[in-house]
Amino acid sequence: MAGRGMNLTLKIWRQAGPKAKGEFQTYKLGGVSPDMSFLEMLDVLNEQLIQHGEESVAFDHDCREGICGMCSLMINGQAHGPDKATTTCQLHMRRFRDGDTIVIEPWRATAFPVVRDLVVDRSAFDRIIGQGGFVSINTGNAQDANCLPVPKHNQEKAMEAAACIGCGACVAACKNASAMLFVSAKVSQLALLPQGEPEAARRVVKMVAQMDKEGFGGCTNTYECEAACPAEVPASNIARLNREYMKAVLLSDEMP
Amino acid sequence: MKWLLNALSSSLGRKFVMAITGLLLCGFLVAHLAGNLLLWAGADVYNGYAHKLHEQAALLLVAEIGLFALFAVHIVLAFRLTGGNRMARGQEYAVKQNKGEGDGVGWGRPDSFMFISGLVILGFLILHLSDFKFNDTDGLAPFDKARAVLRTPLRTAGYLTGFLFLFLHLLHGVASTFQTLGINHKKYNQLIRIVGVLFSASVCIGFASCVGWAWAFTGAPSTTPAPAVDQATVSQAEPTPEATAKPEAKSEQTN
Repeated sequence: MAGRGMNLTLKIWRQAGPKAKGEFQTYKLGGVSPDMSFLEMLDVLNEQLIQHGEESVAFDHDCREGICGMCSLMINGQAHGPDKATTTCQLHMRRFRDGDTIVIEPWRATAFPVVRDLVVDRSAFDRIIGQGGFVSINTGNAQDANCLPVPKHNQEKAMEAAACIGCGACVAACKNASAMLFVSAKVSQLALLPQGEPEAARRVVKMVAQMDKEGFGGCTNTYECEAACPAEVPASNIARLNREYMKAVLLSDEMP
Repeated sequence: MKWLLNALSSSLGRKFVMAITGLLLCGFLVAHLAGNLLLWAGADVYNGYAHKLHEQAALLLVAEIGLFALFAVHIVLAFRLTGGNRMARGQEYAVKQNKGEGDGVGWGRPDSFMFISGLVILGFLILHLSDFKFNDTDGLAPFDKARAVLRTPLRTAGYLTGFLFLFLHLLHGVASTFQTLGINHKKYNQLIRIVGVLFSASVCIGFASCVGWAWAFTGAPSTTPAPAVDQATVSQAEPTPEATAKPEAKSEQTN
């Protein structure tokens, strides 16, 4: 399959199902255009595998424009590959060189069990959100603009936290498979705004309890999560999570 | 009070306990170092300090129980947290690379081996306690004992290794404590980092200076030579007027 473009050696984690034993398989892929995205490169591989009557490699993807949080992949040991502030779908093959070997693994976390090949089950995040990542308000007509004053810096910090797309790269990159950055972003985006205030204490207590129940690790302040986050959610949110939790435990009526 | 137990045993709560016990242990380090630095002030000052300290039997007992509790909690939680973190990963990556800079020291990543550095410090702690706390047999005055123990090459190497790992442990630990306690603010972050580095370095250099002292000090042993004094070190330590004058001069400065 050699031709124009790059020739790559891909070492990909193959696992038939959640309980099956997985292993790495090596594939040679030629003619890879540097303008392809990483997922398009995998598409090409899959088409060739199908043509040869082999099982295609399963991987998660959806919008392919960096906003949905579906794509994952540990590429050469880095969540979403070598670039900062980039999802796997926005990573381009020009980032690699002809002749490179690329190791592709799924996110590794007990709370993110492998479904198949490179696809992991991230519903643990949904269950955490279900415990409090929302505001209970009556919907209806939109309120008058500015009837609830929000300081600009709070609004910006809330927006920064709300940029989280829930992809799970923080968990994947953390040496402890901790979900603190995700949970802190979801707690912060609401705790910083008046709409989130009434449920702030209950939210943080319940979300932290669910996070622990799911089996995520603890934070050791190494900030690999922040470095791996494609949405650049800052780890200062984790400090806010710590503050909000202490405040809720010590000062509110909530029983942890 | 079940709510408090629940909160403290959550992943966040355990980290608070780690941070607070760590900070309190830092306070102990400062007190311990302040005592040790009196070695530089000469035999009389150091022995006087040691005797006064040991006269406070009740206070000492409370302090020792408190210290033991602090160490025990910090160490047991370290094992539990590390075990939990390993479990949370499950299967290890075949390839893993960092994207961030960690503590930004430019070499190594103290934040990535806190458990290992902690284990080395625990080993050092056991060595240190067996040398000074549970070793009363030689009957030396505290000043002479410190010198006799620290002057052996094996102890010098062991103690300096302990201090080096203590430095690495504190380098991440001190600044990290603030984040865990919720203190992360752009006005103070740089200050916290600088304080963390300065604290770690000065504490460890301070302790290491005591080992240096053991080798540098050539003055007389304490006034009452005890029977089990290492003859070799005593015969080397001829009291010369120069050497005895030095520590006295130091003690004046300290006072």
